[in-house]
Amino acid sequence: MSNNTPQSDTERTDDPTDDGMAIQTDVSESVDDSDAVPPSSTVVRSEGVSVWYDDDQALDDITLEIPENRVTAMIGPSGCGKSTFLRCINRMNDRIDAARVEGDLYLRGKNVYDADVDPVALRRRVGMVFQKPNPFPKSIYDNVAYGLEIQDVEGDYDDIVEQSLKRAALWDEVKDQLDSSGLDLSGGQQQRLCIARAIAPDPEVILMDEPASALDPVATSQIEDLIEELAEEYTVVIVTHNMQQAARISDKTAVFLTGGELVEFDDTQKIFENPESQRVEDYITGKFG
Amino acid sequence: MATDTDSQQLDGFGRVSRTAGVAFRYLILAATLFGIVMLGALLVYVTAQAIQPFTADPGWHLTFFLTLVLPTAAVGRYIYRRNPAALGFGATAVGALLVSLMFAGGAAMVFIDILSPMTWFAYVLALAVSAVAVVGFERLDERLPFVARLVASGAVVALAFYFIPSILLSLPIAIIGWIIILLTLGGGVAALVALRVARGHGRRRGAFAGVAAFLGVGVIALVGPFAGIDPLPAAVLAAISFVPTASYAALTAVERPEKRVGLAFTGTVLGGAFLGAAVVDVLSFAGPDSWVDWGFFTNAHSGTAADAGLYPAIGGSILLMVAVAALSFPLGVGAAVYLEEYAPDNRFTRFIDVNISNLAGVPSVVYGILGLGVFVTYLGRPMGTVLVGGATLALLILPIVIISSREAIRSVPEETRQASYGMGATRWQTVKNVVLPRAFPGIMTGTILSLGRAIGETAPLIMIGAPNVVYDLPSEFTSSVSAMPLQVYAWASLFASEEFYQQAVPAGVVVLLVVLLSMNSVAIVLRNRYEG
Repeated sequence: MSNNTPQSDTERTDDPTDDGMAIQTDVSESVDDSDAVPPSSTVVRSEGVSVWYDDDQALDDITLEIPENRVTAMIGPSGCGKSTFLRCINRMNDRIDAARVEGDLYLRGKNVYDADVDPVALRRRVGMVFQKPNPFPKSIYDNVAYGLEIQDVEGDYDDIVEQSLKRAALWDEVKDQLDSSGLDLSGGQQQRLCIARAIAPDPEVILMDEPASALDPVATSQIEDLIEELAEEYTVVIVTHNMQQAARISDKTAVFLTGGELVEFDDTQKIFENPESQRVEDYITGKFG
Repeated sequence: MATDTDSQQLDGFGRVSRTAGVAFRYLILAATLFGIVMLGALLVYVTAQAIQPFTADPGWHLTFFLTLVLPTAAVGRYIYRRNPAALGFGATAVGALLVSLMFAGGAAMVFIDILSPMTWFAYVLALAVSAVAVVGFERLDERLPFVARLVASGAVVALAFYFIPSILLSLPIAIIGWIIILLTLGGGVAALVALRVARGHGRRRGAFAGVAAFLGVGVIALVGPFAGIDPLPAAVLAAISFVPTASYAALTAVERPEKRVGLAFTGTVLGGAFLGAAVVDVLSFAGPDSWVDWGFFTNAHSGTAADAGLYPAIGGSILLMVAVAALSFPLGVGAAVYLEEYAPDNRFTRFIDVNISNLAGVPSVVYGILGLGVFVTYLGRPMGTVLVGGATLALLILPIVIISSREAIRSVPEETRQASYGMGATRWQTVKNVVLPRAFPGIMTGTILSLGRAIGETAPLIMIGAPNVVYDLPSEFTSSVSAMPLQVYAWASLFASEEFYQQAVPAGVVVLLVVLLSMNSVAIVLRNRYEG
């Protein structure tokens, strides 16, 4: 796969289990058809993913399917492996020497851990937003255009930058100061800048690792509104340890508990109102964690 | 239980002895002061020896006290009360002017006696042509594979540097020296000013400021002869010192109105100095009979201490510095980037880590022997040339450059790297676009500090056989070279006499120290501005 064609379709394979089964499971497990999340095709599918850091197991046999154009939340106590799972999707764990991944993780039907997958090319199709806002010490414009430049995206950069900033709900605040440094913005603006940067090259999936945990309540609610809007066009996977946030913005929720175990994965409403597992109920009602 | 305790009245909490702590505190304070006071006393003694302040007319001292010291103290105190940052700005402007004036003097010397402006112009032209070609290949032909672009760029660079200087220099035309300086240095400064202004104030004002800077250099070059300075050095001084300092002052005054009052301090210092000089001249008060006079900077070594000067040694030090910087900067930064960003963490790299730290502590005389063995004996280069001296000193500071560059690279936050890798950047793209720009000020600081160490080294130069006395400036990289510390050493050993001890040695030491301290101050300013 060529580095220069991030939008190419080479990753669509003829994997037979790609779409249909996921919808079946989702629908059959929902409590009430009227409240159920409407069917949607699967973008990311993990089958028996386990991760070790040296000898410590961080994730234990995770199997789940992330639907397209939905917000999927991963919640759980600290150290439960939810961030580790997020980093498996774009293979950011490759950068840690001690990390070892087993199992299969499919993005649009292509196993991203296949030997022929270039992790750099993979990351060009998966945007990522981090816990701490981390704009580059460059101008606002250059921050948003960074992905376009390194990926050699063709097109009118001015236009793409403007559209990305508009979608990240930041355009009105920064349109007169595109040349000033991204680091001069407030924390919430910086995080929206990072979101604009992540969506500028038009990725398939956007991964967010506790994107609002370093922000004040006002900035947090702006980011939450933004995530809900983004889900109209993008598949969003968000890690959070704020349960109310997961309940507010996500369509599906995965609950990880200590030991890197995926205890329950279902529609958000069902998880919060009527979880199957007693442990999940205890966690959600605040009895532990 | 709780009520019980509350009802009991405490008569006190007792005392905890601090005797040992107090003793320790004053002991370490004494140790700190001891070092500083000793060094300070030495510096004052040497400076007094070199400058001989008491040979001046008391009227001279009184005049400068009244015109310079008193007003500076008063204005400085007033500004400090209003806004300490403004005083910092005013003082920085004075310091920038003095330090840049010193470096500009060195550069002017290079253009007058070492590098003819025409040769300089030819190489600048070659550099410009290759830069345009390389950028052009990168921009226009992204369809070409990387290797083809690399080969084409390499070919253009090689051809430009091979043909342009030889053709240009063989042509029977000669452009007047100061016009060349105006075009190259003045144009460069104007471009920098224009870019900086355009970034904050829009393109039109940027272009205007650039043109103004360019014209400023030209006007100063033309006016120079009326102040007794030839157009060529006047243009160099303007391009390296006056115009950049003025741009800094003007930009800060426009962008930070609250600091504007600091300019009063700058004005007081400069105005006081000029006024004092004029008054002293009119009333004919004699100044100090300083050994660091104009002759000391422009003469070569002489048998009589009063006529001895540092000129060839200053030129040699400048050339050595150029060679050291050109050799150690790319090697050191490259090694630092490899070790920080690429090298796997295994036994071999840890072994290299430890050894780089060890190499930084190896005595300089050992590097001298290494240089003598490798460059002179093994490679058969002639002894004591700029190239051999530069290469030896570059080896000497290479470990320090590597260590300080690694520190700077390590201080780039991991989140920034993550952001870049998360966007799908390759390692090279991350290093080029994110890590190096962010680490650059730190790398520059470390490099300047280690260049400062190289310029003060004597032992390696003695080992590689640099001559003690050179009467001419080195004209190319293969000519014999002396250096400031070597010249001082020669005065103190070979020509040891009461005369030289009392006059030439302190003067040389003062000049050397001023150069070193100015380089260090540049490094410190860089570090405070970008890393604070």
